Amino acid sequence: MSTTALADKLESIVGERFVLRRESDLLVYNSDGLPGYRRMPRLAVFPGNREQTIEVVRTLAAEGVSYVPRGAGTGLSGGALADDVVLLGMHRLKRIISIDQDNLRAVVEPGVVNLALNRTVAPLGLLYAPDPSSEAACTIGGNVAENAGGPHCLKYGVTLNHVVSINAILPDGDLVTLGNPDGETAGYDLRGAFIGSEGCFGVALDVTVRLTRKPQAVRTMLADFMSVDDAAHVTSAIIASGIVPAALEFMDGPTIRVVESSVYAAGYPADAAAVLLIEVDGIEAGVDADRDTIRRICLDGGAREVKIARNDAERLKLWQGRKKAFGAMGRMAPHLVVQDAVIPRTKLAGILARIAEIAAENRVIVCNVFHAGDGNLHPNIPYNADNPDEAERVHRSMGQIMRACVDAGGSITGEHGVGLDKIGYIELIFSPDSLNAMCKLRDVFDPDHRANPGKVVPVHSCQEWRGTPASRAVENAQPVGAP
Amino acid sequence: MTAAVAPLTPLETILDAAESGTPLRIAGRGHWMDAGRPSQATRILSLADQSGVVDYVPGDLTITVRGGTTLDELQRITRAEGQWFPLDPFGSGDGTIGATIATGSFGPLAHGFGRARDLVLGIEFVSGEGKIVRGGGRVVKNVAGFDLVRLLTGSWGTLGVITEATLRLYSVPSEPVTIALNLPDGAAGIAQRVGAMLSGSIAPFAVEMIDAAMASHIGLASRAQVLVRVGGNFAAMATQREFLSSMGGAHEIEDGVWTRLRVAEDSSPEQASPIVIRLSTPPGRTAELWTKAQRAAASVSGAMMHATPSLGIVRCILPGTITAAVVESFVLSAESSSTVYERLPSSLWETLSPSVTSDRISQRVKRAFDPDNILNPGILGPLA
Repeated sequence: MSTTALADKLESIVGERFVLRRESDLLVYNSDGLPGYRRMPRLAVFPGNREQTIEVVRTLAAEGVSYVPRGAGTGLSGGALADDVVLLGMHRLKRIISIDQDNLRAVVEPGVVNLALNRTVAPLGLLYAPDPSSEAACTIGGNVAENAGGPHCLKYGVTLNHVVSINAILPDGDLVTLGNPDGETAGYDLRGAFIGSEGCFGVALDVTVRLTRKPQAVRTMLADFMSVDDAAHVTSAIIASGIVPAALEFMDGPTIRVVESSVYAAGYPADAAAVLLIEVDGIEAGVDADRDTIRRICLDGGAREVKIARNDAERLKLWQGRKKAFGAMGRMAPHLVVQDAVIPRTKLAGILARIAEIAAENRVIVCNVFHAGDGNLHPNIPYNADNPDEAERVHRSMGQIMRACVDAGGSITGEHGVGLDKIGYIELIFSPDSLNAMCKLRDVFDPDHRANPGKVVPVHSCQEWRGTPASRAVENAQPVGAP
Repeated sequence: MTAAVAPLTPLETILDAAESGTPLRIAGRGHWMDAGRPSQATRILSLADQSGVVDYVPGDLTITVRGGTTLDELQRITRAEGQWFPLDPFGSGDGTIGATIATGSFGPLAHGFGRARDLVLGIEFVSGEGKIVRGGGRVVKNVAGFDLVRLLTGSWGTLGVITEATLRLYSVPSEPVTIALNLPDGAAGIAQRVGAMLSGSIAPFAVEMIDAAMASHIGLASRAQVLVRVGGNFAAMATQREFLSSMGGAHEIEDGVWTRLRVAEDSSPEQASPIVIRLSTPPGRTAELWTKAQRAAASVSGAMMHATPSLGIVRCILPGTITAAVVESFVLSAESSSTVYERLPSSLWETLSPSVTSDRISQRVKRAFDPDNILNPGILGPLA
């Protein structure tokens, strides 16, 4: 079927306004939150409800057309890019279908914005725990696809731990319920397999999430250090102490300074080499003791000062600097790579030193702002993607950082997903047989590979294994500007 | 009759079985071989000698162990560092971590720490095709690749044999304390009491309801009770004790009660293996389900039950000697919205429990990972 005929057919389902076919209209959908990659969709379609979504997916199935589901497009791995295939935008499905206070559940459509759900349940004394930094824009459907995390996942767990069940449409148009909203399921955990499948297994039509009671008390503090190494060791010491903070976030000197010189200034000491933003929550009596223990660990570990938020306003201000750090970095350069990797928590000091070396060798600036308590690094590099030399140095640095994290026993992504950006690194951590097993799982849901094609697992891993892995590393993962 | 085989590695055994088309029954330490539907396997693949620590850095609060490591051994090793793996599935601590993950088993601590799916960070398994596959990793947060860890957790050995697992650990901040309170009569009263506990000034590790039969079986006064296990720093412990005392009738009992609860069904005076059924519902309706299940159990002599209200699960232990008709009528009158059969006499599976893998996707999953159907064939239902 020609693109025009397909567009006409999709328009007859969703209406003229909700199919984009001209390049000038599609331009805005040619990237996601990660700069450096551009892929032009063939068409974009935006169903307005469940029925339309089903009809669109079934039409694409009947025509054998590939598609890429997309929520708000805030993803940071190039996962929502549609390379000459149909982009299926889900953000119009934004109904909160029900909130069940007695059972601590909410049923939401996939386009519901994370923060919108939290604002709706907050007056009931409830929260939806996963809180990615993009919470003000990102959607629950996208969160499910990426198994999104966030600062408070240190204590509360990631999306996987908060999804009860999913009604989804598979690429062949079949409707399935994964998990059971009314009780336990026996048999394979297909809900678990679906969460984090990056849009390769199907599209969620609605998601039943678990809500959490707001903690009785919260204590937030900021510890500042004159040495990155001290802050890293203190992080390891807090984790080893056995207290599970609600959040334990790390910001290094360059990050602090860019935040403080922006409209998001949070009162971080501008001369510090690093700060730790630490939050503990729970029952009133317990949190003060935990706060005091952590404060003591910080001071013993070389903190210059530990500032404790005295009220909600001060707490929110401390958090604003952290949550808006990526935005603040926009002032440094036209583009920003927000990277994502994980290391064992005892390896933090060593890896930060190694990242500093890599930055110096490649003449790039790395701003580290990350979920230290989980060992989930976010080394960010502001740069100009239109400068090929600089883009190449950035790309090389990222590769070296990934390798260093893998060598330390870590992973190539903690919460952003593999998408397009990490597909060249996945062979660093998984054997051909493991990747082949993942391909088989994908085949179960999408034997034709029409849902988000070319993402997560390299195409060659899905064939019977031939040749050496090294000769095939880093395929189709070249960002714009890299050679 | 099944026969144990010589010590080949799991990989060698699977390759050999695939070659000869011999179905395998996967076993940890061989407890609870009556759990799950009867398998058509003729040969046992035992992981009992595949035990020990692969990697343990206490500061990371993670541990990697081989699949045949027992839960007791895991606790002994982690306790020495002031840590624990907070998963306490029913059954003896002599069970293995591989079997625990494979069966997705959990116990009362799931209230505070989650189930196996929440605590397992990475696994290595051997597929039915004899491939060594890894999913997840050794770090606490990881979204690289499709989630084979969740797929294998609860798959009852039908997709692969778990040879290694990386687990999330927690520190033990202080010795936990267990407080027992009486459970009022009637769904409304129970819902109120338990609701106050779940939303109150406590952060318990476990909140478990037990009926009078279970209470007396594990050495407590013969009345329906709720057991609350709390921990935390000194100040938190004091407040929690105070809160629970204010509810009236609260008294501290020894923490060993949890061990007795775990093995309750196997220490029953009944000769035959018991029937174990999990009824479940959205958590806010646990009290209602509990009351109905209690009423239904009144006609089954020797029934015992306990429940995890935050999960909406009521676990019922019935004598293994009752007929299918009695089980059916029990389940029907309990009006649960979901029923999971853990243990049944082999003759009752066909009658009572539909296949749990009969859907199209599950059938394809099984074929993808075990195309020759040699791993625990039939244990979750037949391959169409």
